[in-house]
Amino acid sequence: MDYRALVVGGGHAGIEAGLALSRIGFKTLLITQNLDAIGRLSCNPAIGGLSKGNIVREVDALGGEMAHLIDRSMIQFRILNRKRGPAVQAPRAQADKYTYARLAKEILEGQANLEIFMDTVVDLIIERNRIVGVKTKRCHEISAEVVVLTTGTFMEGRIFIGEYDAPEGRLEEPAAIGLGTALRKKGFPVGRLKTGTPARVRKSSVDLDRLEVQEGDEEPMSFSFDYDGVDRPSVPCHITWTNETTHRIITENIHRSPLYGGKIVGQGPRYCPSIEDKVVRFPDRDRHQIFIEPEGLGTEELYLNGISSSLPEDVQSAFIHTIEGLEKAQIMRPGYAVEYDYIDPQALFPSLESKLVENLFIAGQTNGTSGYEEAACQGLIAGINAAQKLKGEKPLILGRNEAYTGVLIDDLVTLGTEEPYRMFTSRAEYRLNLRHDNADQRLTQKGYDVGLRTEEHLQRLREKVSRIESVKDLLRIHRYREKSAFDALKMPEVTIEELAESIPELGAFPPSIRYQVELDVKYDGYIKRQERQINRFERFETMTIPPDLDYDTLEGLSTEARQKLKHIRPLSVGQATRISGMRSSDAAILIIHLQRRSGDA
Amino acid sequence: MSRYRTDDIIYALATPWGSAALAIIRISGSGSHALLAPYFSKSEALRSAKNATLLHGYLCDQEGRRIDEVVLAVNTKGHGYTLEEAVEITCHGSLSVITELLDLLSSIGMRSAEPGEFTFRAFLSGRIDLTQAEAVHELVEAQSPVARAHALARLDGGLKEKLNGMKNTLLALLAPVEVQLDYSEDELDEFVFPDELLDSLLDDLGRLLASYAIGTLYKSGARIVLAGATNVGKSSLFNLLLKEERSIVSPVRGTTRDYIEADLLLEGIPIRLYDTAGLRESGDEIEREGIRRSEHLIGGADLVIHLLDSTEEDVDRAFDGRTIVVYNKADLRRPPEGVLAISAATGEGIGDLLSEVARRLKRGVEGVDESRIVIQSKRQADALLAAEAALKGVKEDLQAALPLDIVAVGLNEALHHLGLITGEVTPNDILESIFSNFCVGK
Repeated sequence: MDYRALVVGGGHAGIEAGLALSRIGFKTLLITQNLDAIGRLSCNPAIGGLSKGNIVREVDALGGEMAHLIDRSMIQFRILNRKRGPAVQAPRAQADKYTYARLAKEILEGQANLEIFMDTVVDLIIERNRIVGVKTKRCHEISAEVVVLTTGTFMEGRIFIGEYDAPEGRLEEPAAIGLGTALRKKGFPVGRLKTGTPARVRKSSVDLDRLEVQEGDEEPMSFSFDYDGVDRPSVPCHITWTNETTHRIITENIHRSPLYGGKIVGQGPRYCPSIEDKVVRFPDRDRHQIFIEPEGLGTEELYLNGISSSLPEDVQSAFIHTIEGLEKAQIMRPGYAVEYDYIDPQALFPSLESKLVENLFIAGQTNGTSGYEEAACQGLIAGINAAQKLKGEKPLILGRNEAYTGVLIDDLVTLGTEEPYRMFTSRAEYRLNLRHDNADQRLTQKGYDVGLRTEEHLQRLREKVSRIESVKDLLRIHRYREKSAFDALKMPEVTIEELAESIPELGAFPPSIRYQVELDVKYDGYIKRQERQINRFERFETMTIPPDLDYDTLEGLSTEARQKLKHIRPLSVGQATRISGMRSSDAAILIIHLQRRSGDA
Repeated sequence: MSRYRTDDIIYALATPWGSAALAIIRISGSGSHALLAPYFSKSEALRSAKNATLLHGYLCDQEGRRIDEVVLAVNTKGHGYTLEEAVEITCHGSLSVITELLDLLSSIGMRSAEPGEFTFRAFLSGRIDLTQAEAVHELVEAQSPVARAHALARLDGGLKEKLNGMKNTLLALLAPVEVQLDYSEDELDEFVFPDELLDSLLDDLGRLLASYAIGTLYKSGARIVLAGATNVGKSSLFNLLLKEERSIVSPVRGTTRDYIEADLLLEGIPIRLYDTAGLRESGDEIEREGIRRSEHLIGGADLVIHLLDSTEEDVDRAFDGRTIVVYNKADLRRPPEGVLAISAATGEGIGDLLSEVARRLKRGVEGVDESRIVIQSKRQADALLAAEAALKGVKEDLQAALPLDIVAVGLNEALHHLGLITGEVTPNDILESIFSNFCVGK
């Protein structure tokens, strides 16, 4: 074997997978089509947001890299929804794209046990249902015990701008041709998905002075739990709106869209529609919001968040020029749609290992997801579990009650996806417990157990927990509004900052600690209520099903349930109950069978 | 998808629902002896009972009032049908006793078993041989009320429509809330919670629950107590109503010292009629006890027929809404104008009294279309009640201006409970609703 582990792809999933494997101690090779594109932010220049910011912090707590990268490249930071409830507060940062990607490459280059090589993988080498290596475009055959596949939008990628199309994964970056076809031949369930990106315009040609300004927070917090804050510049974003003229131009030219002309067959994300989609689907709206975001400090390019489009360039240009502030905008890069191969994630175990080919792990957009954060957390879990496999240990599978990452993977492998899957708060039943600020409490120990976190990280966590307790103790002994400050904080209108004015000792604790205490105390009753729901939920999660269970021997299962169970091969009764089409009676028969089996044993 | 839980205490009536000499109620689950003991007259004996013990005594309600004289058959863990700690209550087979006992068990934290659940527990504990195809079949059948697909198919069309309508309303409430949770404030339009929609949903739930009241009225019946001073003719009326001489009728005051009960059917409503001891001051210890029992019965009655004697002077008394005031002995002396008057001796006015009784029993379930008596099972009613409670909590949360992710907890709970009847609602369904209705963000 040339390597213990091999990672295909240098995007957000590949970076985490490569780092996890090499950090845990396995000699790893990361192959990418283009060294200069490692860690590239292909679409919007931002990391985090609702539920996604939580994922970044989960990645950090487990020992991933994404939080460090954004902490060192951010050019604006905000806690979104600070005035709203605990589940919907989340960090989001604008990134300097160039800094982000450069740092990513630097980190990979500085990593012991990790080699980096530029080539394009065109086929997998499989022996007796087990992967043993890959073939590349330049005819190398590289062997490894485990492979993590993270192809992004490049597998048989094709971009579309109006009547124009080209075999590329990003504009002017060639697709990985051959791999998707090879996988289809090997029996992988490969499908097509579509996503898109808006035009980039030149800052000096945009009249930003007329537009609404959106500033970042004054005191940025860090995404990573490893330090207490960051010192980074903060530049504003701007907000503008489309108008009826914009919509008229789009409507008049809709027949020139590859989406409506039938050229694109892949399903696009409904939650992130192109502007032409929005205009067609919501004809009653007279305007749509656009966030104008800088792509970096050393560049004039501005990202027009909200108007991704694959209309012809002359149409893009015409409708952009109808928008306030953008009348004279110079378009530097056109918007485009990209269609690519993905592999039905139902063909994966919750460890992200393929059910078809042993030791092959798949992560990121290849599994039908969308988003840097979604990719990163899968890459990390795939890397960790590839390492666990090499060590002969059990995979790390996060529960839906433990992490957004767990929700994401469970959704993917249990339900599959027919559009690019993006994380949403509403996907997580137990979101009050999946806050961004407690990701370290939820996951650091697990990161330690798999070898990515150290004793120092655990110590830091213990100190945090004890500081939280100290703050709570302070609140219990001080009085406020004729009750204990602790009880006062439960009142909706009382904030911890208000309490800090009358309890000066609170000033000794950093904002992140005070922030967490505030959420803990204020929503304690609801969090407890959620914990009771979790207890109910966990009973079925802990009833495990052997992956080789022969469902044909179970009498009484409905035909649909039997077929789906055989296809998905759930690892727990809980997972089985989430399969669409399963009935309670099917679940009961399954439970009885398992109880009996364990009784026999 | 709801599943059988196996870590709580369940109960169920094991004998048919109806009047009989005896009825059996089964209880199974760890801790059931200790939970029941405070309500059993021989608490300590129950707590320390060995397996296969019979205990005779009384079960009392939460206020300590005796419900019925019973025999408990006690099984300890590892024995009996389910191999769990269990009790079988043998009680008198009157609908009122059964209802009171089931209510007691529910109120002290036991759960009404799903059909087949005892069998299910027996399966799980290995008590029953699973290889028996018959048993597996029974299990599948037993699960069907839980398997919503089946349950739904069995519901009559009107109820199915109504529940689906309510579920859709709830989704329409939840979707705009969830979408607020999926995007940041600056990506979203200003949000106003649709209070009217919530109120109308609560109204719908209330009406459906009222239909349970009428369902149970026909199924479980009503308790009617004949009350009044001594010697106003309660027992005569009782006998007339039953068309048989069950009570000892005599002109001596205080003849009926304890109460007597009997079942009859009035316009399809099963009725348990109680003839009680006349209310008066008495020095007789036994009679005083009878009067005390009368008062207790009156307190628990659905309807009280208070008899007055037309031949005696009117006493000014206040009656509550459950009471029908009836002047008896109308054949002897003409009662005041406009009152309900009967003669238990001649039968005069009895028809009017009966239709008034029927009218009053159906009051409160007015507006419910009787041709569509919908909610019939306690399980369905419990789920609706839980949904109603969750939504009332949502209303309070909104009034307290709590954030939407907190409000969503109650909405999701309500949806979960409705889902117990109509089929599960998954986070995916909510997202579907969001995607099809909202134009959102980035």
